[in-house]
Amino acid sequence: MTISGVISTGWKSADGKRPPTLLLVSAAAVAFAALIPVAYLLIRSIGVGSEWIDIIWRQNTAAVFGRTFLLIALVTVISVTVAVPVAWLTVKSNIPLRRVLSVASVLPLVVPSFVMATTVIEMYSPKGVLQGWLSGLGVERLPDIYGLGGATLVLVLMTYPYVLLTVRGALRRMDPALEEAARAMGYGPVHTFRAVTLPMLRPAIAGGSLLVALYTLSDFGGVALLRYQTFTSTIMIQYESSIDRTLAAVLSLVLVVIAVLLLMGEGFTRGRGAYHRSTAGSVRVSRRANLGKWRWAGAGVVGVPVVIGLIIPVGVLLHWLIRGLLNNQELLPLLVPARNSLYISLLSAVVTVMAALPIAILAVRFQSRLSRFFERSIYIGFGLPGVVVALSLVFFGINVARPLYQSIWLLIFAYGVLFLPASVGALRSSLLQVSPRVEEAAQSLGKSQWRVIFSVTVPLVMPGAFAGGAMVFLLTMKELPATLILSPIGYRTLSSSIWSAASEAFFAKTAAAALLLVVVAGIPTAYLTLRGHGDNADSSDRSPQVTPVPQAKEGVR
Amino acid sequence: MRMPWQRKPAEITLPQSSAAGAAAAAIASASASEETGVIHLQGVECSYPGSDSPAISKFDLLIKPGEFVSILGRSGAGKTTALRVVAGFEQVSSGYVRIGGQLVGSSFVHVPPDQRRIGFVFQDYALFPHLTVAKNVEFGLKDLSSEEKAARIAPVLAMVGMAGYESRYVHELSGGQQQRVAIARALAPDPVALLLDEPFSNLDRQLRAALRRDIKNIVRETGATTLLVTHDREEALATSDRIAVMGDNSIEQIGTPEEVYQNPVSAAVAKLIGPCELIPGVYRGGVVVTEAGVFPTRVTADNSISDGQQVLALMRASELEIDIAGEDDQRTATIELREFEGEFSEYSIRLDSGTLLRVRRRAANGLETGNRVVVSSRDQSKVIVFPV
Repeated sequence: MTISGVISTGWKSADGKRPPTLLLVSAAAVAFAALIPVAYLLIRSIGVGSEWIDIIWRQNTAAVFGRTFLLIALVTVISVTVAVPVAWLTVKSNIPLRRVLSVASVLPLVVPSFVMATTVIEMYSPKGVLQGWLSGLGVERLPDIYGLGGATLVLVLMTYPYVLLTVRGALRRMDPALEEAARAMGYGPVHTFRAVTLPMLRPAIAGGSLLVALYTLSDFGGVALLRYQTFTSTIMIQYESSIDRTLAAVLSLVLVVIAVLLLMGEGFTRGRGAYHRSTAGSVRVSRRANLGKWRWAGAGVVGVPVVIGLIIPVGVLLHWLIRGLLNNQELLPLLVPARNSLYISLLSAVVTVMAALPIAILAVRFQSRLSRFFERSIYIGFGLPGVVVALSLVFFGINVARPLYQSIWLLIFAYGVLFLPASVGALRSSLLQVSPRVEEAAQSLGKSQWRVIFSVTVPLVMPGAFAGGAMVFLLTMKELPATLILSPIGYRTLSSSIWSAASEAFFAKTAAAALLLVVVAGIPTAYLTLRGHGDNADSSDRSPQVTPVPQAKEGVR
Repeated sequence: MRMPWQRKPAEITLPQSSAAGAAAAAIASASASEETGVIHLQGVECSYPGSDSPAISKFDLLIKPGEFVSILGRSGAGKTTALRVVAGFEQVSSGYVRIGGQLVGSSFVHVPPDQRRIGFVFQDYALFPHLTVAKNVEFGLKDLSSEEKAARIAPVLAMVGMAGYESRYVHELSGGQQQRVAIARALAPDPVALLLDEPFSNLDRQLRAALRRDIKNIVRETGATTLLVTHDREEALATSDRIAVMGDNSIEQIGTPEEVYQNPVSAAVAKLIGPCELIPGVYRGGVVVTEAGVFPTRVTADNSISDGQQVLALMRASELEIDIAGEDDQRTATIELREFEGEFSEYSIRLDSGTLLRVRRRAANGLETGNRVVVSSRDQSKVIVFPV
């Protein structure tokens, strides 16, 4: 009996449908591949035996734990607090420059964490630009940017767009009649937001928060530069400072456990209520709230994170570039790294989306315990620091997949493990919008289940595939540790060029490469934001946008 | 701001017998007399942003306390807009909207929906999917104590036949059940008027008829003033005290179902209110000469028609008669199809010109498919004609 036979014999999805074997096998293969880094950690840790408890406690781990959780809690709460009003203002109100602001408010996402951290230090440190301005006004000393405060600032700026994107999507999908119903029952606008809108946004907020928490858990560049020791930076120090990597492996395993706990925590927030639209019917686009004289204040609220998270960092980079050029500093030859970055990012996007497809289709169309296990197992990759994934793949490359070692395919593999969750998420919500009735219609017309997937399902989820691909492209562009470790010798990308230039304190080179990266990565992000907009509906509020209704019984992420 | 018709929550009582229902109706009409009406729209115009033509314009409607009025119109006519204007979801650009005699909407006044005490039942119900049935109904009772809420929720749910479903979530209910909960939710806060936006359109035919009767009874029991919007003529005819037929953007005719059915003011209203054919003809001194034959006529409303004028004659299946054609009959037709329906048979008649008419008559007779026939009006009743 083949493996596929074993898997599919025991298979019955919730509604009794059996998925095509090939779909199952490919999903199983992807989930298996995504679990390789964890497998490596287990192998390394097993050798340690019962000493692992000592190892963990020797490292003053409790304190690191505490610091990590404090940072995660702060970053998540502040990101939600920033993102929800920004989402509401850019979707449901008539603030001036609404379109520009709604794109700009997502763009801090494209600034890599180590770039964001360096610009934050340049601006707000005791010797920074802001102190320079303020000392003229008699302010002696700004609060220290290093430590918890600075790390929180950097991570909030980089991660609030995750919540922003999920909440915006939910706001657009929400049936405006729900809010109208509350208004008809005597609820004022504020009360309506609290009693109806906010609870309806709960799954989106939880989903976005999960991404924020996992990112915060795995970030290295930002926290390292701001001298805040977290679990990930402890592991990194272990990796770099000792030849024996067992300790780092054990600590990484703990990190995996934390990531799993976070994933479970998000599951708990869902509860029994449903969050997709309750009945059939078309989505009517609601009229935007008229803020009247508060319009500009609303734009200001959206503008603050844009200024701090995008305009100031880009400004600092431009400043460095110009200063460097004036001092006749040499620019790196950027053409080759830029081409390499573009190439591997596109490749990574295509490969990752293709790998995500079977997982997403299984999870949405053939719900079962196994499909949930597949889906959840790939989310672990998002909680693992890039460096852990990269080093485990070095091990895998040397010992198991020798031909892949020192080729860009191993690098692509690492990106896939790291960024699968992003593309699965996008495909998943796109699939939920496609009624299974359409697929059943195709099947009734004589197509096999497998052919239906190719001729109906895949074309219909193309928007989701593009969204997911754009996200993977962006994340690949920014990724640093895995790129440094797994790139074939001499293969330079934009992010590795920034890193090497920055570590040699060539500010002009750093700035030029970083600006190029921000621009290239910004294009797909802007596309992503504009695409989800439905702004054409502005002019014709009464013509209903007919969208198929999500049929799954599960909350929409 | 508390509007005059907004009573303190303590005064809200749920009628459980018809006597109590009458009492509640009396309260509801306390500030709304026959003249002011519960809902009064005068010359209302409302347009959507980005659209050149208004969705409704010169819209007039007066609804008296306890009345059940339907707005009937084809889709896109602006029916739902009219309803949303009453609820306060849309702002009017001119005209006056009054609820209980108070101005709530005009070009310079807009009382927001939450201060209008309107019960609104949405086309797709808009039940809160994150709340249970009981919590959905409780939602509008925010000013009451928890005992008062409980004392209100139970009878309202019982009234719509949903007792025992309190802890269910919306997605665990069928469409008809969701509809019942939506009605309970709208009625629970004891609104001044109940607005129903195509409430039965998402239900299958049988369920629709049953639910329609139930809701009519519930509404009668509570004495609630009701405005229903529909494109289903059966629904409008069966439920309403009065029907307002909408043309494009405004009401063309308003009256009891019988009045509107028997005396439609225009060809458009006639088409909306019942199945019929309109065939061209020429008016000649009390009769209309058409390709189907010569019929005695009457003219409705203040349409005036002069001799020799081109008109449209209203042909309703139940008002026509057919007989086997004689040798020398000039205007003949062929029976194309006979559908036996038990008590009646319905015939599709092809005129020689190609026009198709439908005739409904008692089953027992020898007319069969293929017969040549002549058409006349049954019992020489007068056919309604409209000027072209």
